[in-house]
Amino acid sequence: MKPRVLVRSVGRFVMMLGLLALSGAFIPTATIAATKIENVAIITPASKTNGGWDEQGVNNITSVTQKRGIKLEVAENAGYEDITPILQDLKDSGAQLIFCHASGYQTICPEFAAENNVPVAIIENPKAVKPGLISDIETHAEDVAYLAGVMAGKETRTGTVAIVVSAEPPTWNFMSVGFAEGLKATRPDAKLIYSVIGQAAYDDAANAKRTTDSVLAAGADIVFGMGDGASFGMIQSIKEFNQGKPVDKQARFIDVIGDKSKTAAKSFLLSSVLFDYTNTYNQMIDDLQNGTFGKVHTLDVKNGGVHLLNPPIPVQPGTMAAVDAAKEKIVKGEIKVSTIGDANGVHKRLKELFPGS
Amino acid sequence: MSIEALLTALLASTIISSVALTIASLGEAIGESAGLLNLGIEGMMLISGFVGFWAALESNNLWLGFLASIVCGAVAGLIFGGLVVLAQADQVIVGLAMTLAGGGLSGYLFREAYGSNQPLLQGDLGRPLRHLGGGIPVIGPAIIGQKWIVFVTWALVPLVWWLLRRTRFGLEIRAAGERPFAADVAGVDVTRVRLLAAVINGAFSGLAGAALALAELGFFRPGITVGTGFIAIAIAMVGRWDPLRIAIAALLFGLLRSAGTWMQITGVNIRPEFLQMLPYLGVIVAIVILARGTRLPAALGLSYRRGIDRT
Repeated sequence: MKPRVLVRSVGRFVMMLGLLALSGAFIPTATIAATKIENVAIITPASKTNGGWDEQGVNNITSVTQKRGIKLEVAENAGYEDITPILQDLKDSGAQLIFCHASGYQTICPEFAAENNVPVAIIENPKAVKPGLISDIETHAEDVAYLAGVMAGKETRTGTVAIVVSAEPPTWNFMSVGFAEGLKATRPDAKLIYSVIGQAAYDDAANAKRTTDSVLAAGADIVFGMGDGASFGMIQSIKEFNQGKPVDKQARFIDVIGDKSKTAAKSFLLSSVLFDYTNTYNQMIDDLQNGTFGKVHTLDVKNGGVHLLNPPIPVQPGTMAAVDAAKEKIVKGEIKVSTIGDANGVHKRLKELFPGS
Repeated sequence: MSIEALLTALLASTIISSVALTIASLGEAIGESAGLLNLGIEGMMLISGFVGFWAALESNNLWLGFLASIVCGAVAGLIFGGLVVLAQADQVIVGLAMTLAGGGLSGYLFREAYGSNQPLLQGDLGRPLRHLGGGIPVIGPAIIGQKWIVFVTWALVPLVWWLLRRTRFGLEIRAAGERPFAADVAGVDVTRVRLLAAVINGAFSGLAGAALALAELGFFRPGITVGTGFIAIAIAMVGRWDPLRIAIAALLFGLLRSAGTWMQITGVNIRPEFLQMLPYLGVIVAIVILARGTRLPAALGLSYRRGIDRT
C-alpha cells in the first residue's frame, strides 16, 4: 500500500470515529444517565374518579407531570387480570416510566419490566427492586391509622368501633392493624368489629352499604372505612343512620385516601388517612433522569407522605392532644406499630387485641 | 351487642338485599316464559339506574326518577325485543351485548355528568308502615319498618303470578314460549306477544335498577349492580318461573349474603372468603336440587319466523 493511500485510510477511520463519538453511539453510559423523561404512564385497577386510591394516584401524578411539562398517559379500569397487553400498549405509546398503582400489580409489573426493559414503579414489593428498572413505594399508613385508632378510642361513645374493608390488600391490612392497635392503646375495653365486604369489592357500594348498616345496627358508632368507590356506600349508610338522631347519638366515619369533608359526609366525617405521592413521584422521575432509579421509597408520618386529616367536625377536648402525643412518639420511635400485610396475620392480630369481639 | 339487635340487622339486611333481585327475576320470568332469554338484565339495570338517578337528582323528585328508570328499561327491552324478535338476532349475543353496552354507557354518562363527584340523593320515599311496628321487637324494625319499595316488591309477586296464570295475555306469553307455531295457528300474534314480554322484562329491569340506586342506596355509581342481573337469571330458573318461588329464592340468596356479614360481626371464626362464597354456592346447590328436573320453556332462546318455523 502506498503511504498516501495509507494516510488517507487512517484519516477516514479517524473521521468516522469522530462522527460516531459526536452522534453519541460511542459513549454508552453517559447518555443513559442523561435520559430526559418526556412521557410517563400510570395504570390503575379502577376508575380514576373513584374517590379513593386510584383517584389519589392519578391526581398526584397529573399534578407532577403538569408542573414538569411531561406527557402523561392514564390507563384506568385495568382490573386485576392480566394487564400485560395494556402495559405493552403504554410502552408502545412511548412511556419511559410506568407507575403500576396497585399492590395487585406487584408481580406482573416487575415481570413486564424485566422482559421489556421498561422502568416501572410498584407498590409494596421491596424485594422486586432492581437498579435502573424497578422502584417500589412503601406506604407506612399503619402509623397514621394508629393515630386514627387513637382518635376513635377517644371519640367512641358506645365503646364499639368497626373497621369495614372492601378487600384485604396489604395497604388496607397495614391500616387495619394500625387502627386496631391505636384503639386498643387508647380504649382497652373497646369492642372492635372487623368486616370484609368482598375479595375485591372496591366498587361494590351496595354491599358496602349493607355491611355498614349491619355494623351500625350492632352498636358501632365509629366506622373506619377502607373502600375506594365502596366508601360511598358506607357514607350513605351512616347518613341514613344519623337521620333524625341527636348529635350525641350519631355515628361518625373515618375515611382513607382523599378528603371528603366537602361531600355528603361533611357532618359526620371525623378524619381521613391521607396519602401524598407527589414528592415520591417527583423523586422517581429525577432518579430516572439521573440514572439512580431503582430504590425503595417510603411514605410515612415523618416525611409527611401520609398524614391524618384534621377533624372537620368538633371533637372531644383532649382528643387531638392524645393524637399529637401519639404522633410524636411514633416519630421518635417510641411507638412501634405492627406492619402486617397478609390477611391471615391481620385476623390473628385482631383476635389477640380484641379476643371477645 | 344484643341478640335482638343482631337478629334485626340480619333480617332487615336479608329483606332489603333481595328487593332488586326479586324485581329483576320476576321480569326475567316473564321474558323467559315468552321464550326470550334476556342476558342483558345487568346492563339494563345499570343504564336505567343511572337515568333514574340523573332524573331524580336534576328534578329533586324521586318519583320522577323511578318513572325515568322504568321508561328507560322499557326502551332497552324494546331494543332487545326488536333485535331478537323482529331482526331474529341471536338472543345470547344480543343480551350480552346489552350488558356490555349498558355498563359502558352508564359509566361514561356518569363520568360526563359528575366527573369525580359523587352526588347523593336527598331524602327518600320513606317507610310507610314504620309507625305500626314501633313496639314489636325484631319484626317491627326489620319487616314492618322497611322502605316502601319492599312492599311494592312483595305486591308485584302476586301481580305477576296473576298476569302469567290468570290472564289471557299470560296464556299467550306461555304459549309463545312453549309452542309459538301452535300459538300462531290459534290466532296469537307471537311477534306482538314476545315484543310486549321483552318490553315488560325491560321495564322490570329498569325498576330493579331504580330500586337499587334510588330506594336502597340513594346514589348511583358505575357498575353498582355487581352481577345482580346475572344472579336474577339464575334465581328465575331456580324459582322455575313461578313468582312465589322466585321471591323465596331471592330471599334465601339475600339471607346467605347477609349471613356472611352477620357471622363476621358476631366473631365467628371463618375466613371471609368462604362467607362471601356462601350465596353463590347456595345458588348452585339450589339449581342442582330444585331446577334439576325443570323443563325449560320449549322455545326458550329460539326465534320464531312466521311461515317458516314450525315448532
